[in-house]
Amino acid sequence: MSNDGTIHARRIRKSFGYKTVLQNIDLDIACGEVCCIIGPSGSGKSTLLRCINGLETVDSGVLKVNGEDFGYYETDTAYHALSPKKLAEQRTRVGMVFQQFNLFPNMTARENVMAGPVLVKRGDKKQAAKRADELLASVGLDAFGDHYPAQLSGGQQQRVAIARSLAMDPEIMLFDEPTSALDPEKVGEVLMVMQDLAKKGMTMVVVTHEMGFAREVADSLIFMDEGFVVERGDAREVLANPKEPRTQAFLKQVL
Amino acid sequence: MVQTISRGSRNKIDGTDPALKPRLRRRSVFEYVAWVVCSLIGLGILVSVSTNPNFKWDVVAKYFTYQTIISGLMLTIFLTVASMLLGTLLGLALAIMRSSRIKPIAATAGVYITLFRGTPVLVQLIFWFNIAALYPNLTIGIPFTNISTAVDINALMAPITAALIGLSLNQAAYMAEIIRGGFSAVGKGQIEAADSLGMSGATKMRKVIIPQAMPSIIPATGNQFIGMFKETSLVSVLGVAELLQSAQLIYARTYETIPLLIVASLWYLVMTLLLSYPQSLLEKKYSRTSSRLPRNAKKVVLTEPEGVAR
Repeated sequence: MSNDGTIHARRIRKSFGYKTVLQNIDLDIACGEVCCIIGPSGSGKSTLLRCINGLETVDSGVLKVNGEDFGYYETDTAYHALSPKKLAEQRTRVGMVFQQFNLFPNMTARENVMAGPVLVKRGDKKQAAKRADELLASVGLDAFGDHYPAQLSGGQQQRVAIARSLAMDPEIMLFDEPTSALDPEKVGEVLMVMQDLAKKGMTMVVVTHEMGFAREVADSLIFMDEGFVVERGDAREVLANPKEPRTQAFLKQVL
Repeated sequence: MVQTISRGSRNKIDGTDPALKPRLRRRSVFEYVAWVVCSLIGLGILVSVSTNPNFKWDVVAKYFTYQTIISGLMLTIFLTVASMLLGTLLGLALAIMRSSRIKPIAATAGVYITLFRGTPVLVQLIFWFNIAALYPNLTIGIPFTNISTAVDINALMAPITAALIGLSLNQAAYMAEIIRGGFSAVGKGQIEAADSLGMSGATKMRKVIIPQAMPSIIPATGNQFIGMFKETSLVSVLGVAELLQSAQLIYARTYETIPLLIVASLWYLVMTLLLSYPQSLLEKKYSRTSSRLPRNAKKVVLTEPEGVAR
């Protein structure tokens, strides 16, 4: 059976200096699963997400993305870091959407979406442009291909960012608080796009404060605090009947 | 006249609606004094300069377009352009080396920048001119073979070569710092976005970092260019017949020192003014973070109201 679109982590540890931000995290995400990670700021949810994309490296533990050891290859005694080229190859299979969109301001929306296929995969420009227009249409931005990021609203920028990640045909999409920098009016349009994506069977890991999205779209939910996974389970179940007191306290504040 | 409903409109004193009266800026006594004093000083200097016969303005006029001066000016322009070009290219390489993750490479660039920024350009110029004292013969060859050519450094290091090398190497150190400053102005998020797409280091540099660093690099480079134009006058100590040296050659013969220095200074001033116009245009162009108009703006039709930039 293919392991594409799965994430498997066992006893992941990560510390910045003296501060341990991830403490023995176990994680199993199946293909097509939508997993929401919630928790207070500084609980390590973003760090966990960034590790899955290789923006941070884990200190120890097993991390398999799409069935392969991510960023490292295993020998009898140790994990050895992969060459930048191989790491880049693995990264192309994992899309990342940032809180601050991080679109390239020197490129138009279309060029942003084309960046992956043309600059990384060295694909044909005309085909990439056609595909980019299709992707922009799929996030509801048909007419905005020639616009620069500065001319788009936050919600539009974030949708372009999603299209940019999708252009690489990733098996997994990671969302790092995708709606936190948006004004409330524009949150819906981004969540709609994400919901569409979930329906199409994309494996998604979403760090979010949108409990409504978690309840309606997510399959599983993880509540993190102080670098630990405090509670996990079926999204609706956890949100409705949290078992741990810490989770209860958190949900009481945000719901 | 606009009919206002405020009570003030009824209190017309001399027929003017108080709501329409201009609001005047306060002028202090100091401002008037400053006007008078500065005007007097300026006028005094102007009168003195124009009436003092020792300035010999006729001599200045005579030599302003003199053949030797013009060819000196041409050499100055050549030296400026050439050393800026070489310096910028080398500076770019140094800036990339300086931000390398590999320690020895970053350190090498660091040492270079420290050395060349930490010593006077004049000393560096004289040093390169006299490099033959250290290495009289340079042998270029392939190691472990007999294939080699000996180069006589003394012959190679003509004054102009030494000037070009000295100015370029010095400029490279300054340009490296300017370019590195531009690199660090590019947000961390941009680099992460490029990384998460799997972009290679070189592509990231070419397509993401350099285009975004340009707005802060270009104006500073323009400044360096103007500075370099005047810095070339140092080269006169090597006997290169650039603008200043050409003037010196003439007054060594005619003893009209001040008029010829004025000629040279006027040319430096003219060129600086000519250069500062495109410089200010560049600054204006790049002070905007990115274009506010869509590419192919005419073709784009905004249909939705939310298409208007926030």
